[in-house]
Amino acid sequence: MSEHGRNQVRRSRIVDAANRKDSNKPVRSNGGRSSGLGRIIIAVYGVLALSATVRAVYQILLDFDAAPLAYLLSALAGAVYIVATLALASKKPGSWRLSWYAVLFELVGVLVVGTLSFALPALFAHPAVWSHFGSGYGYVPLVLPLIGLWWLARHKMPETREQGAGK
Amino acid sequence: MIVDGFFIAGAILCAVAVLLGVLATIIRTYPDDFALVAVALLEVFLVVYGIAAAIRQAGGQAISGEPWEFWGYLLTALLIPVLAFVWAVTDKSRWSNTVLAVSGAIVFVMLYRMEQIWDGALPA
Repeated sequence: MSEHGRNQVRRSRIVDAANRKDSNKPVRSNGGRSSGLGRIIIAVYGVLALSATVRAVYQILLDFDAAPLAYLLSALAGAVYIVATLALASKKPGSWRLSWYAVLFELVGVLVVGTLSFALPALFAHPAVWSHFGSGYGYVPLVLPLIGLWWLARHKMPETREQGAGK
Repeated sequence: MIVDGFFIAGAILCAVAVLLGVLATIIRTYPDDFALVAVALLEVFLVVYGIAAAIRQAGGQAISGEPWEFWGYLLTALLIPVLAFVWAVTDKSRWSNTVLAVSGAIVFVMLYRMEQIWDGALPA
């Protein structure tokens, strides 16, 4: 069953009406990575990137000395979330690899920092994105990379598009 | 009280939008017309709700919270069904229905909050 294929039968009149206008435009594909569920994943990454970055900048500007390590790690996490969001949405060759490593980095980050925050609580007395496995963000930082890696594995590079996009 | 009638109507519309969105996610692989129409109706409701609120406020009815907060919520809520609709029409996948369902849930939370600000009748 195709979730993102261009050949599927469309039976929504509203969508058909909207399509009629731009059906002649050529479509560039990145293997279906940024449509369907992928689009939701990208949107959640975008929200997380924004909230993590803004909060880290705010904490660093106002209260850096309270927990420098935690805040710097939050800023790093925010930056990598931005990279991941843009790479996931990109159609350029190489963006698949970049998003894979960005998402993998986040998984490693949340696991390492999450473990450290329980082992060395003194370093993470103040809230950060990755501390306690992202509990301050509803564990989204822990769950999202897993979903992201699964999704990316199913939607490989455009070069090998037909494999990834099928099913 | 007139406000509660609006709240009940809005809550029902939100529930319908959520249910249709979830159901369509399960049984459809494209955006479902009924789910789209439900979200469009929700937008119409919010417009009517806003007009009614403006009339009541212009008529001098007291508001228990901050008026700017109420209108801030309303303006944001007005954007949500539109965004979900555009998302669904441009994405054209099974998951567009999920987005429609989530938009209904978000609007419900905002409507609940608006009612609290308006008359303070609902528990926090």
